[in-house]
Amino acid sequence: MSRRTVLRGAGGAALALPFLEIMSERQANAAPGDIPCRYLVAVAGSSLGSGNTDINETYVPDAEGFGYDLKTALAPFAGGMLPSGRTYANVRDEISVVTELKIPWAAENGGSVPAGGRPDNHHETMVSPLLSGVRTPEGQNTKAFGPTSDQVVADAIGGDTLFPSLQYCVQPSTYLGSGGLSSRAVISYTDGGGIGARAMPVNPQKSPREAWRELFFNFSPEDPAEAADRDFERRLRQGILDVVRTQTETLERRLGRADRIRLEQHFDEIRDLEQRLIMLGPETVGACMGLADPGEDPAEGGNRPKVGDRYPYQVNSGYSNEDLRAEIFNGMVKMAFACDLTRSIAMQYTHFHSWMNMYELIGRESDLHELGHSRHASEGQAEGLAWHYKHFASLVDDLRNTNEVDGTRLIDHCALVMTHEGGYGLDPSDGSTKRSHSTERMACLIAGRAGGMMQGQHIKRRGAHPAQVLISAMNAVGIEGEELGEVSGVIPELFGRS
Amino acid sequence: MAALVGCNGVYDALDSSEPGFDQPPRSSSGKILGPEDIPLSAARRLSRAELDQTLFDLLGNPSRLGSANLPEDNQEREGLFLHWPFDNVYPLQTTDRVLVQAFETLASTAAQELVSDEEQRARIVGCEPTSATDEACLLGFIRDFGRRAFRRPLTDAEVDNYFRLQMFAEETGEFYVAVRAIVTAMLQAPDFLYRVEVGTEVPGLDGVYRLDDYEIATRMSYFLLGTTPPTWLLDQADAGLLRTPDEREVAARRLLEDPQALNQVDRFHSMWLGYGSLPHSPELTTAMRNETRALLERVIFEEDRPYLDLFRIDETYVDTMLAEHYGLPAPMEESWVSYGDSGRSGILSHGSVLSAFATASDTSVTKRGVFVRERLMCQEIPPPPPTVNVDDLPETNCKSELIEVHQMGACGGCHSLMDPIGWGLENYDSAGVFRLHDTDKPECEIAGDGEIVMVGTFRGPGELGTLLVEDGSLEGCAVRQVVRFAFGREETAEDEAFIEEVVSRRRGSGWSYVDLVVGLVASDRFALRREREMDQ
Repeated sequence: MSRRTVLRGAGGAALALPFLEIMSERQANAAPGDIPCRYLVAVAGSSLGSGNTDINETYVPDAEGFGYDLKTALAPFAGGMLPSGRTYANVRDEISVVTELKIPWAAENGGSVPAGGRPDNHHETMVSPLLSGVRTPEGQNTKAFGPTSDQVVADAIGGDTLFPSLQYCVQPSTYLGSGGLSSRAVISYTDGGGIGARAMPVNPQKSPREAWRELFFNFSPEDPAEAADRDFERRLRQGILDVVRTQTETLERRLGRADRIRLEQHFDEIRDLEQRLIMLGPETVGACMGLADPGEDPAEGGNRPKVGDRYPYQVNSGYSNEDLRAEIFNGMVKMAFACDLTRSIAMQYTHFHSWMNMYELIGRESDLHELGHSRHASEGQAEGLAWHYKHFASLVDDLRNTNEVDGTRLIDHCALVMTHEGGYGLDPSDGSTKRSHSTERMACLIAGRAGGMMQGQHIKRRGAHPAQVLISAMNAVGIEGEELGEVSGVIPELFGRS
Repeated sequence: MAALVGCNGVYDALDSSEPGFDQPPRSSSGKILGPEDIPLSAARRLSRAELDQTLFDLLGNPSRLGSANLPEDNQEREGLFLHWPFDNVYPLQTTDRVLVQAFETLASTAAQELVSDEEQRARIVGCEPTSATDEACLLGFIRDFGRRAFRRPLTDAEVDNYFRLQMFAEETGEFYVAVRAIVTAMLQAPDFLYRVEVGTEVPGLDGVYRLDDYEIATRMSYFLLGTTPPTWLLDQADAGLLRTPDEREVAARRLLEDPQALNQVDRFHSMWLGYGSLPHSPELTTAMRNETRALLERVIFEEDRPYLDLFRIDETYVDTMLAEHYGLPAPMEESWVSYGDSGRSGILSHGSVLSAFATASDTSVTKRGVFVRERLMCQEIPPPPPTVNVDDLPETNCKSELIEVHQMGACGGCHSLMDPIGWGLENYDSAGVFRLHDTDKPECEIAGDGEIVMVGTFRGPGELGTLLVEDGSLEGCAVRQVVRFAFGREETAEDEAFIEEVVSRRRGSGWSYVDLVVGLVASDRFALRREREMDQ
């Protein structure tokens, strides 16, 4: 029974009980083979390098195979400290780095976009091939033309979890003022009618507080007084939502046909919210337990600052303490997996073409996008990537230290991939080289030992498609076939083959 | 009831039992309107800014919870270089799980903040409860607050539904727990979040509905004030006094006396002209916003001048810091100063407008050109074609050398529409400061000659404003932008006749902004809606 069936079919609380029973029964009686697999795809809105310093000096390890060396970008794998002061251990042997990847482009294919490829201009044209494996048609960008990997996974293995998939975005704002470009903050798309059809964006949760409320509001705090308060608040929320649902039913009857269709999604979501609140169980089996309320979200920073000498650089603009937000979201990911609330997560650390101010994070007067077009060059970009990797590494460490109900490690049932907006090399739009506007020489990080993946390797796979790393991870969590969109094949070294 | 005569003379004696409801709708020129003449509309969700203001007016809540809790309003319209100017485009509004939970949080936060503030809650609740379960007081509150929140009276069944939440007051022995629950429930109801219009079908006009009195009040208030109708306007709706053009005109003029009307005018212009969030220090940003707001207030409200004076007026309102920033004679305190022969005049010379549409480090001659074409002339400029890399511009010493780059090959076609406009503003940097050469490059002199190809030449923002006014393109475009904002969507082909009618009646007449918006509210179309035909 899918979640959708549960929620849509349920007239009230009656069907919630079997659902909870299914969940707790599965968790309590889990045999080793029953532990579900979990999948995460992440995005860093940055290329790997630009300018005269080759990424072999800042990013790509010299050594191939196990025990690779850590240059600036990968240095956080050696361990480090998070904004909260918490430390994490060396995770190099848990993460593989796949380098020399490539998304093909139109110019090298006689001017027409090849399968799994992109038009020659850079920004956001790689979104579709990178995440869905389907080419971006000429003249398009910032959307997908097939379902993204997290949605394919959700359809296959997310069935009886409360959230078939979750989408988080650490960077909360475009930092451009009003006017949107919010599609830069979307990395998850559901099927819009097959390969080549425009897929439907799934907007991410950008508020750590709301993410917490969604997952953990129903878990009782240990302190009895707090638990009583929470219980009252939960009943109050339910009572209110019941009244709201009755109100929507009245409204639905009044509306004209066009508006009824227009508001249908809103009505459905209200019903679903009410149902989830009833069903979301305080099941604290194994490592699963309620997280503490993270409190108010860090304040959102204003627009990106201006660069240049005439006006002083505004070090606080365009930054919303993404450092802390990333740590909170990562905590959410770990517990969502540990509690089997979801099995598929799309985690966007920074927007495509990101205008997040990097000053607080790496001390450079630049936003993330500008790092790739300025004196900061490959060195600056490596530092920017290292900030992303610190959080990815700490998540991996956290999953390594978390046990399933059968005593195995959570990381052994995970496949996590970090993808990037670009690589380093030829910009086909104007033929220039050593550019950040390139999908030559891309890389992916992959972690987790689901499906027997062998981690801790540096794998050079010249010309392979980044989506092949996603396909490897999808295979690892039990998705059959070796395809994502128009791309096929895996990275064999991850499975001990060559 | 006395016979009513409309301002344009087409309204003869009206049936006293249903004033305004028995005549076929007409255009301002007297033409009888068909279904296709009636603008489409649908349920419109409040934008973040509208929610912020609505919560302030309903609850006295200044926290701007909409902006703090909700995702940015969608303004991505494909095929344009710039984003759509306005935040209220209902066809672009979508709903998902994240959004609906965010509404729940927003509602519960607003309710919590209300009951935590004793003074505020006493004012909003309107009665002193005699006990935790004071039924009369709670029922009165539900009816009164419900009417204000939903912008219409509640039915008895609706009142009963909310009254169910009294059980939480009973359980806790605390009256305001029920108040909190009721406010939370109402503020996340689609009836509050959307401006729902139902109306009654107009006989003989397929798919056309006459708005009810409360729906008219709501349209007026969100158009002119950007917020929920004030109580007096709901009272007018109760009394059926918004049905005729004259009645709506009187009410519209009264709404424009509300201090919130200036905020709404400022909001409209900040979105249209792009100065909604400025990338400067808080002090400079405030000074610039004050300058522009003062001009809007003077032209539109204080002096009711011809609207296009906004683009030509030869004085500006500055404080000492901003005057020095511009290089104008500094007044002792905030006041109007003459632009003199500075080359500036009108709103396009303001730092606020000149700061918009820049790159992170400098002005952008291209974006400023696009701004003039798309926003001030209502032309569509396509986004850069696939072969253009706008991030890695060729390295030139002086910016003016880019002229040649942009004229090469395929680029020239589009850039000749945009760049010559931007070059005419290049003497004004990305904070609106006059300069003779590229910043920190004395060898790179700026010529400052601008041209709108096929229209004329100019130097600086003052002459640009005059050129656009004299050409007439700005006049038509300004009206079109107001209509887009009022409709909450892009115009359709069927709307063109209406826009043409509004523009042609006024062209060259020195019309004022107040005349324009009052005219729109008074028109027959304002009280009607057409429902989109559904695909079979």
